[in-house]
Amino acid sequence: MQKRYLSIAMAAVVALALSACSGGSTAGAATDAKGETLNVWIMQGTNPGSDAFFKSVGQEFTKETGAKLNVEFVQWADAHDRFVTAIAGNTTPDVAETGNTWTAEFADAGALAPIGEKVKEAGLEDDLVKGLVESGTYDGDLYGMPWYAGVRSIIFRTDVFEELGLTPPTTWQELVDVATVIQAERPDLIPFPVPGDAEMLAYPWVWGAGGDVSVQKGEKWESGLAGDQAREGIQFYTDLATKYGFSTAGATTWKETDVLDNFAQGKVAMAISGSWTPATLLEKAPELDGKLGAISIPGKDSGISPSVLGGSHLSVFNTAKNEDLAWAFVEMMSTGQYAQDWADQTGYFPGLESLLKKTMKSDDPLVRPFAEQMVDGGASVPVTPKYGAVQAKKTTNAMIQAILSGQKTVDEATKDAAAEMDEIMNGK
Amino acid sequence: MTVVLNPPPVDEGRIAPSPTGGRPPKRRRLVTMTQARPWLLLAPALILLAGLLLWPLARVFLFSLQDYGLREIVSGESNFIGLDNYAEIFSDASLWNVVLPNTIGFALVAVSSTVIFGTLVALLMASLSPLWRTIVGSAVMVAWAMPAVTGTYVWIWIFDADQGLVNETLKGLGLMDESFNWFTNPVTFYGIVALNIVHHGFPFVAITVLAGLLGVPKEMLEAAEMDGAGPVRRFFQIVYPTIKPVFSVVVILSTIWDFKVFAQIYLMPGGSGSNREVLNLGVWSYVESFGQNRYGFGAAIAVLLTVLLLIITAIYVRTLFKEEKV
Repeated sequence: MQKRYLSIAMAAVVALALSACSGGSTAGAATDAKGETLNVWIMQGTNPGSDAFFKSVGQEFTKETGAKLNVEFVQWADAHDRFVTAIAGNTTPDVAETGNTWTAEFADAGALAPIGEKVKEAGLEDDLVKGLVESGTYDGDLYGMPWYAGVRSIIFRTDVFEELGLTPPTTWQELVDVATVIQAERPDLIPFPVPGDAEMLAYPWVWGAGGDVSVQKGEKWESGLAGDQAREGIQFYTDLATKYGFSTAGATTWKETDVLDNFAQGKVAMAISGSWTPATLLEKAPELDGKLGAISIPGKDSGISPSVLGGSHLSVFNTAKNEDLAWAFVEMMSTGQYAQDWADQTGYFPGLESLLKKTMKSDDPLVRPFAEQMVDGGASVPVTPKYGAVQAKKTTNAMIQAILSGQKTVDEATKDAAAEMDEIMNGK
Repeated sequence: MTVVLNPPPVDEGRIAPSPTGGRPPKRRRLVTMTQARPWLLLAPALILLAGLLLWPLARVFLFSLQDYGLREIVSGESNFIGLDNYAEIFSDASLWNVVLPNTIGFALVAVSSTVIFGTLVALLMASLSPLWRTIVGSAVMVAWAMPAVTGTYVWIWIFDADQGLVNETLKGLGLMDESFNWFTNPVTFYGIVALNIVHHGFPFVAITVLAGLLGVPKEMLEAAEMDGAGPVRRFFQIVYPTIKPVFSVVVILSTIWDFKVFAQIYLMPGGSGSNREVLNLGVWSYVESFGQNRYGFGAAIAVLLTVLLLIITAIYVRTLFKEEKV
């Protein structure tokens, strides 16, 4: 009997000692976190595989802090649900990559820990990319550390363009002309897929025509999707499929990942795609090496059609047992060598201005057009915690899909989508 | 079960009025004990059911009366708003135009096809030799054992618009000029879901009905055959009435399963919300609650689904017992 009590007492003492060393220290906390494990969620989708990268990060992290790094990869498509169920069940990771439209939503729910102080302490405040700071801020404090930014432009098959003597389009009309030639000469290829379940690929046409997704007027949000210019853009975009037949029947229900899969299988000539996808494509289909080109999304008559400047934050959840350790990981990932490596390997743009400037100078034909798109044609979806709900309800996706499948006309679909968007964004 | 519910008559004998008749209190205590015994025996099961079924049901009902979002989940506070969620559901046009017709129409088609096909397979198996019955039975079990997600993806590939087997075959035969996307039209969409559900659900019906069929007295069937009854008449006049309880069980269970079908729709292209024409109650509830963090509203839809199922089951069980009494 006594023996048992003794062991319990011993365990208690050990536990006290452990918690003392993890909680008591501040700056040095990171170095003596031996035996602890930091749980991290990283998103996966159309970006290149990152096992090797995180293996190296894990080794370095253990070397610096003594703690083990446990990275779990989560598919973008399921991630929102996973986060929400984890928040509900109190099983959130310590640190996670959060899509920049979600950070404010999770902060609003009270699931994230503010990191503004820590950023200030580290002297990083002025070096963060502005757009990502804006979407990572909620109620005056920063909840998402800018990790990387990405932007979508058009990628195309240079070998097909050379074979047919085509030059990359610079206006909407030229896009149609080029696609018409491809359609006639290379019937085995999909000239320009128009996927029905990918909202981010639809917005450039709305903005390119001078329309708006949704703008804040006073207290209220007002969707511009049903406006004349937005409708013109959506008409043009969906006409590529319904009028010209540059897409396929299957694309009506495609997601962005399906576009990429088909491109990797060599079935697509041109497609809107993220700055991070050329690396993914080459990983999936090495035979496409040297056959990939990129251009900014052409403006209607000239210039660039803006596309969504997306990106990811690294957020610390309030369930993190050791916030200093969590921050050590966030800092390691978003600054210095690992941030640079990540950007170079994936085709994302770093979240720090100082690193971004370096990338912008690149002459790589698969980087430059995306960099131009980011600087001259970067736009943001509405910055409000409510926008996550619009995305979850698939308002824009449903609009595009209904037009593509012939369930609704452009006028009907845009009117319904605008009404739904207003209802959600001005709702409780 | 019946033994527990109907205490053996021995007890009745023991508590019969004693000739002396002077100890009423003890008698009452005995009666209570006798009455309590079945409940005592049932208690462990009932407590378990209450903990695992009733309490979650009650929670869902409580959620349905609140405006319950992520913030409430994190803080653990409640936020009651009365019946607003229900009012919103019933005033939503898509409930009446899309969601309910899809849910009920699909359940009708899927349940009847599953039961009919399952019964036909059972009849086939009943007429086979034991060896072949085992072989067919194992083959049927494979369909049953297939996980819903795997099965759904197989059907998605078969009907894929650009490279699917169905489109390629139809084009190869010259029946179709251009690829057709089977997932955009609600009718073809639910046709595929029905194939998936029937394929996944018929083995249960077949095996259960087969067990019933093997219990039908052979003499009766032989006698009917001697009297000149054909196979169809023998089925409806003898087999069906004999194993009616079996049918009621498979129909009720299939109805419940097919009403709340979710994964098989959510995973299909366009089924997760981008094709509004194909929403059913389950997916609608999920998209509204998890996507938009409106758990109260989603819970209200779930309560509605439960009530609907309870009503259907109650009506069915009632008619069944009524007929049995007659």
